[in-house]
Order: sequence, then C-alpha cells, then structure tokens
Amino acid sequence: MKNLIPENYAVRFIFFLLSFVALYYFLKGLAFAINDNYILTILTYMAINTILALGLNLITGITGQLNLGHAAFMSIGAYTGALLTMKMNMPFGISILAAGIMAALIGVLIGYPILRLTGDYFAITTLGFAEIVRVLFNGMEFTNGAIGISGIPRHTNFSIAWSIAVLVIILMVWLNNSRNGRSYMAIRDNEIAAESMGINTSLFKIQSFAVGSFMGGVGGALLAHQISFIKPDMFGFMKSIELLMMVVMGGLGSIPGTILGASLLTMAPEALRVFADYKYLIYGSLLVVMMIFRPNGILGGVNLRQLLDFSVKKKNIERKNLSN
Amino acid sequence: MELIQQLINGITLGSTYALIALGYTMVYGIVLLINFAHGEIFMFGAFAGLFIVTVLGISNLYLAILGAMVFSMGLGVLIEFIAYRPLRGSTRLSALISAIGVSIFLGSLMVLIRGANVTSFPRKELFTMKNIEFYGLSISNLQIAIILISAILMISLQLFVNYTKIGRAMRATSMDGDASILMGVNQNSIISITFAIGSGLAAAGGVLWGLNFSSIHPYMGLMAGLKAFAAAVLGGIGSIPGAMFGGVFLGVAETLGIAADLSKYKDAFAFAILIIVLLIRPTGLFGRKISKKV
Amino acid sequence: MKSKKIVMMMLALVLVLATVLTGCGSSNTSSTSGDVIKIGFLGAKTGGHAIFGLGTLTGMKMAVEEVNAAGGILGKQIEIVEEDHGSKQEEMATITQKFVERDKVVAIVGDPTTGGTKTAAPIAQDNKVVLISAGSTGPGVVEIGEYIFRDTLLDSVAAPATMDYVVNEKGWKNVALITSINNDYSVGLSGIFKQATLDKGGKIVIEENIQDGDTDFSAIVTKIKGTNPDVIVFSGYYTEAGLIMKEVRRQGMNDIVMVGGDGLQGEDFYKLGEEAVIGSISYAGFSPEQPTAVTEAFIKKFQEKNDNAMPDLFSAQGYDAVMLIVEAMKKANSVDPVEFHKTLAETSNYEGVSGNITFQANREPLKSPVYLLTVKDAGGKLDFGLLKKVPVK
Repeated sequence: MKNLIPENYAVRFIFFLLSFVALYYFLKGLAFAINDNYILTILTYMAINTILALGLNLITGITGQLNLGHAAFMSIGAYTGALLTMKMNMPFGISILAAGIMAALIGVLIGYPILRLTGDYFAITTLGFAEIVRVLFNGMEFTNGAIGISGIPRHTNFSIAWSIAVLVIILMVWLNNSRNGRSYMAIRDNEIAAESMGINTSLFKIQSFAVGSFMGGVGGALLAHQISFIKPDMFGFMKSIELLMMVVMGGLGSIPGTILGASLLTMAPEALRVFADYKYLIYGSLLVVMMIFRPNGILGGVNLRQLLDFSVKKKNIERKNLSN
Repeated sequence: MELIQQLINGITLGSTYALIALGYTMVYGIVLLINFAHGEIFMFGAFAGLFIVTVLGISNLYLAILGAMVFSMGLGVLIEFIAYRPLRGSTRLSALISAIGVSIFLGSLMVLIRGANVTSFPRKELFTMKNIEFYGLSISNLQIAIILISAILMISLQLFVNYTKIGRAMRATSMDGDASILMGVNQNSIISITFAIGSGLAAAGGVLWGLNFSSIHPYMGLMAGLKAFAAAVLGGIGSIPGAMFGGVFLGVAETLGIAADLSKYKDAFAFAILIIVLLIRPTGLFGRKISKKV
Repeated sequence: MKSKKIVMMMLALVLVLATVLTGCGSSNTSSTSGDVIKIGFLGAKTGGHAIFGLGTLTGMKMAVEEVNAAGGILGKQIEIVEEDHGSKQEEMATITQKFVERDKVVAIVGDPTTGGTKTAAPIAQDNKVVLISAGSTGPGVVEIGEYIFRDTLLDSVAAPATMDYVVNEKGWKNVALITSINNDYSVGLSGIFKQATLDKGGKIVIEENIQDGDTDFSAIVTKIKGTNPDVIVFSGYYTEAGLIMKEVRRQGMNDIVMVGGDGLQGEDFYKLGEEAVIGSISYAGFSPEQPTAVTEAFIKKFQEKNDNAMPDLFSAQGYDAVMLIVEAMKKANSVDPVEFHKTLAETSNYEGVSGNITFQANREPLKSPVYLLTVKDAGGKLDFGLLKKVPVK
C-alpha cells in the first residue's frame, strides 16, 4: 500500500488532487444512482455533522478542552458564507473557505486569552462566548436580527458535502498521527507534564482550537447553503450540546467513533420521530451513563481493524483510557 | 430618581442571582466541579413551591420555601450520588460532561411533566402586595421581603460555615480533601451536605424568583444558572461573600445596562463580565488562588 | 499502516452509508398509487410552537373528512401526511423533502411560522408542489415563487388598521414600542407597527427590547414609565405580554393598556397577566363572535368533534387552506399542482371560515374583515371578546 503513494511532493500533490477529483465524480455518480432527494438530504446533513463533530472532537476529544460553544463557530461560518455568497456574489468554494477562515480567526482571537484558563473555566467561557455571539447576531443590522437571512442559494449537495467531509477525515487522521497530534493528546492527558516535556502548550492549544473552529465554520457555511435560511436561534446552546453528544457517543478522541456518532445522531430523529419528545431526555441521560460506564464511547477501545479482520477476532480488545 | 428605582430593581434581581450563585461556589470549593445541574435544581425548587401551594393547598410563603428547600436538598444529594460520585476518580472532563447531562435531563424532564409553557406562579395566595411610594419611587413590600429573606439565608450560611463543626469540616475538605480525610472527616457525607445546602438555597431562590416575576418555566434554570455562575466567578469562586456580592453586582449591572439603552444586548452582559473577570483576575474579587497540583 | 487506517475508515463509511440506504430504502416506497391525493402537514406537534401546529392540523383533518365524506375530489380521496419537526430548521427541510420525494404530495399546508415557511418554500417551489402557509404573516414569503401561498391576515394590512383605531379613534398618540429581539415575528411586526404609528399621526416615544423567555421586566417598565406614554405596543407573544402588563400595573401605571398583534392571542395572556391585561387590544383575522353563516357552521362542527372547544385562528386557517386547494383542483379539473396552482392564484372573494379571501396579483392574500379583540372580564372569567370589526379595502 505504502509504495502506491509517490515520494516526490509535487507528484504527491497532483496524485492527491486527482484522487480528490475522482472521489467527487464517484460521489456524483453515487448520488445519481441513489436518485432519492430525501435520502440524499439526510446523507448531506450526515456529512455536515461529521465535519462539525470532527472539529469539536479535535478540541474536546483530542486536546481535552471542553468546548460548549461550537455552535457559535458554526454560526460565524454560516453568516460569513451566506453574506459572501449573497451580497458579494462570491463563488461557493471561496465562501466556504472564507467562512472557515473567519471562524478560525475569531477562534484564535477568543482562544488566545481564554485558553489560559483551566478545564471548567474554559468550558463555561466558551458557553458564554457562544451566548454573546448569538445575542450580537440577534441585535445587529447586517445579520437581519431574528428575522434571519433567507433565500441563500442552495449550493450544498451530497457530493460536495461528502467530498469535503472525506477531506476533513483524511486531514484529521493525518493530524492525529503527526507530531502536533501527539502534543494535543499529551496536553489532554496531563497539561503540566506536557509542559515540562517541552511542549508549548498554549501554542498547540490555540492551534487545535483554530483548526477545530475552522471546521465549525466550514460546516456552518455548508449548512447555510443547504437549508437556505439561517437565524441566530438555530445556533443556540442545544446545538452545541447536540454536537458534543455526537463526539461523546462515538468516543471522545476517536475519529471513527465521531463519524459513527455524527451519522447515528443525524439518522436518529428520522428513524425515531415518535420519540421526538424524549430526545433531550435521552441525550441527557446518555451523557451521564456514557461517562460512568463507557467514557470511551461506543467504539472506545475497540479497534476497527480487529473488528474487520476475522482471524484476529476479539482477542485483544482492551480498554484504553480515552484514546483511539 | 429613575436611577435609584433601577438600582432597587437591580438589587432585587441580584439577590436571587446571589442565592443561586452560593450553591455553585460551595460545590466548586469542595469538589472542584461546576455543578451544571444547579440551575435545574433552582427550577425544580420553584416548581416544588408551586406544587406545595397549588396541589397541597398550603398557602404560606415560609412553608412553601421550606418545603421546596427540603425537596431540592434531596434532589441535589441524589444527583451527586448518581451522576457525580461514580466519577470522582475519573477526569474532570468526564465529570463536567456528566453534569451537563444531568442538567439537560432535568430540564427536559420538567418539559415532559409540565409542558414547555410558562406557568403562572400563585403570588396572590402567598403574598399581599403593597407598593410603598415615596418621592416618586415605588418599592413593593415583596421586593423588600425578597432582599431580606435572601440576606437572612446568606448570613446564616456564613455563620454555619464559619462557626459549626460541620462548617469547619467543609472548609477543611475544600482546603485539602486528602488531608481532611486523614484528620477524620468523612468526605462523602461532607460532600452530600454541601450539595444539600447549595440545592436548598437554590430552591429558596427559585420560589422567590417565581414570587417576584409571578411566573416560572422549565427553561428558566439554564439562563439564570449561567448568570449565577458568572456571579460566582466574579466574586471569586469558593468565596461565600464573593458570591453574594457578585450576584447583586450582576443584577445591578444588567438593570443599569437596560437603563443605558442597551436592552438589545442584555443577555450578553453577564458573560462579557465573566470573560473580562477571568482574563484580568481569574480568582475573582474575593477568591483565593487555587494552585495546580501535579 | 497509515494508509491502511484510511482504507479502513472508508470501509466503515461505506458500511454506514449502506445501512442507511437499505434502512431508508425499505420503508414505504409504494405510495404512488393513483387513488389518493396526499397533502402534507408541516408544523410542530411538540415543542415551543406546538399550539400553532396542532391547531392547523385539527382544522385540516376536519376539512379532509368533509371532502372525503362528500365523495372526495375528482373521484379520489384525500389523505393527510403528517410529520412533526419540533421547530427545528434542519427537520423542516428534511420533512419537506420527504413529502415531495417519498410521499409524492401534491400540496403542503404549513408551516405556521414565517421562518419555517421560508425554509420549506424553496423546496416546494423547486419541485413544483403547492405550499399554503396557514399562519405566516411576515414579509418575504410568497415572493419565493408561484407555488407559494398563504391564507392569513397580513400584518401589513392589520397593523395599520389597528393603529388607525388606537391613534385616531382612541387618541393615544404617544406610543411605547416593545420588541422581542430574538423572535422573528416580533421584529418584523415592530417595523410595521412603527411605520403605521407614524403614518396615522402618532409618535413613538420610546423603543425597548426584551427577549422571549425573559421574566424580569422591571427595568424596561421603569424606563417606559419615565417617558409617560399613552399606550404600550408590544409585537411579541402572549407569554411575555402578560408578564409585562403585570409589571406595568405593579409600578403604578394603572390606566395604560397594551396593543399587539395576533401573537397576543393565547389564553396564557390573561392567565399570566390576570386583571392587568383587561382592555388590551389585539387584532385577528378570525373571531368566533358575530360569525358569518359559513363560520357559524364551522364552529358548530368543530365543537361537536372537539368536546365543545372553541376553534382558534389556526384551525380555521388550516381548514381554509385545505378547502382552497380543493376548490382550485375542482376549477382546474386536475390534481396536478402544475395545473391547479394557477387556478389557486385566481381565487377571488372565497368565503372561508376565517374570513373572505382574495389572492392578489402577487399572490398575497387580502382578507376582510380585520377583527379587533380585547380582553374582557365576563363575571370574573377573562376572555377575548370582539371590540370592533374593521372592513379592509
């Protein structure tokens, strides 16, 4: 497998680009084959939620900083993307990218001071920040207040959303295995120890926060171009909790787990609409139960390879402490 | 004149914030956990008061407050036992997520029981409103009662923590949990007592809140709880006088913000204050430094 | 190792996708038989806006029962497909998509809110399915396309009529305007009230903002008291309205009343506000008092079916929405929305149970009359009562 990927960086880049284009057309073909907009809509949401949840997973699951305001970055991305597309006639790709960059910038701006705070304070500050963003979007003129922005062109579709999602997944896996990723995990497991090992903890925390916010922004912009209507109340505290739920359910810090969590929670309301009343009751109790009995999530500690490789079977399944 | 009137409005609002903030501060001081469900305990306390008055038919303010306090004490201890105690050894992240889970669970439970709508709180049966007018100011006897009841509760708490044996054990646990166990303090029961007292105060806050605004609803805990937390941080988490000061300060700040034509951004004040305080003086105004242990 | 992991991840992804596809694919796909006409109900049956949704659905069901009992339309029976979106935007879009793709509905009735309609309407328009909102009153809805309609009394018609009464007949010229800043309905309506007040010769002496979910109004009421207005105009919903009035009375403004839109009409308004809201004025396109013959028949039937409960605005408009669709189908002699959306747009002077409905050239409804309602004390029991009937046009 390894020798399939060429050594030269330029060639590598072209190889990568080509496979991405191939992926896009493959997905387009798949969409044509599915030929059911209802299913495609749900699958598109699944991709968007995967992107959002992976961003949160980087901050909360991998770097260990509980972020209760991920929806705020989503809303920043959604508004940036929507306004750029509608007011400045920007191409869709640039709007999405700008949305991500805007979210990341604000992530750095707010993250620089607040990431000095320890766990609980950080969590509550992100929550407070998200509330401030919501209140500002409600009160300001250019966001059209509570009336929201409607008539956003519906550019997002199944193939675009999943292409970006796959790109994000690859980026996350790569990041997770890189030196930076190891530093993030070191910070999560013991910040003081990490610092004494020579890891620049504040730098890496901001880095992870920025990348996570970037994904929040991209996801938000995709969502805005999917629903075609956004208003500040869509990005409230409960949205943040829902995203957190996706990460916790699949397993804090686990990438396959997060994807699974995002997919399951996107489908759940469709399949279980009867239980709509009990949704948050179930979410709440699941958060408690998961933390007590399976803090590593459904997939926590379970190695995918072992699940698929039948010769190994369930021999070496071990519970690792909060890692994938 | 209008400014003084607004100050009175602010102090009334602030004293309920302060009552909630005390619970946050006490629990954080001892177990180093933001009891996220505290706002929901406050909400349940308000509904317990409603239950006592409308279903049990007891129209006495003090009995309603007392009953709500007893109910919430039980609830607080139960929450600690189910959701926090099993996680005492695990990471703070797990405990915090569990706390958020409890908060969401309780909030949506109340929605299922009572519906999401606002319920009117039977003020008339509990309290005969009278307005005291002087120099163009209008203060109701209810506002005075709320401020007085809050003050009495807070002062008795301060006396309890400073001058009783249990209070001393609480302070010892807060200072150094492990050392206090060696000194013969039963940590589990001290933590339970802390949750009970904090929840009881929140419930009293809930009933007073319902009385003051004559309405309660299942989502009132979230925002009030968050603001009270901001108040606790402002005063310095772990400090009881700090929480009182923080609550009143926040209430007054919000009211004056509205008076200054900023009503659009009212809900952002508390959090802006929270973030600024954390950046400039993370230990709050009255807090002591909590050193990080390796 | 690394690339292997990626491959595994892809495999997992494909697996998940496959399960979804089979899972979704197996559920009812054989619904395109030609004997029934499907109409989708889009609205919340749970959560904050459930009252609107449930009311609409009750009205729709009554209309469908009647049409079916009379032999259906063009030999076909009507069936309502109902889903609950719980007021979540993502769900609204998905459900609309499902109505169109899976259930092959010819028309959708909903959503009762302006925001929800704006989410659903582009999908209906793209798929050439008629959508009638039985509740949205704000701007920017029917502009989405020629398949989008609504059968409500528009704020832009009713608010000026109300302010004309307030400013010129009552002589309350100094207006304090309160907006609920996180409520799109309120923000939209405040703009209309403001313009109407100025047009009718009134003056806005103070503008204040609250939020849905607030309970402490002492500070804004103190501020309003300082400006000494003749009347308080509040554009939000009944809950906050009741609580604001209570605080207004507590601070000693004993004669001032509240004026608002149809958002004030929930029983919580007088349950929460109690005697403080007596005399408050709001408008509606429907009132059970002084009914026309059609409306009277509707009320009677509604009460038979619903334990003597009075129909509300939403059930009347939900009923009318279905009836308008049926009328249009009859006129077009077709159940294809591509055909009957044209005849629907031609609806003129239709005598609905929620008032007289005419679709103007821009498809905006013109409804007459506007009912001004007030809270009356009927022997210790508060309720909305008719204050005045104002004909439009």
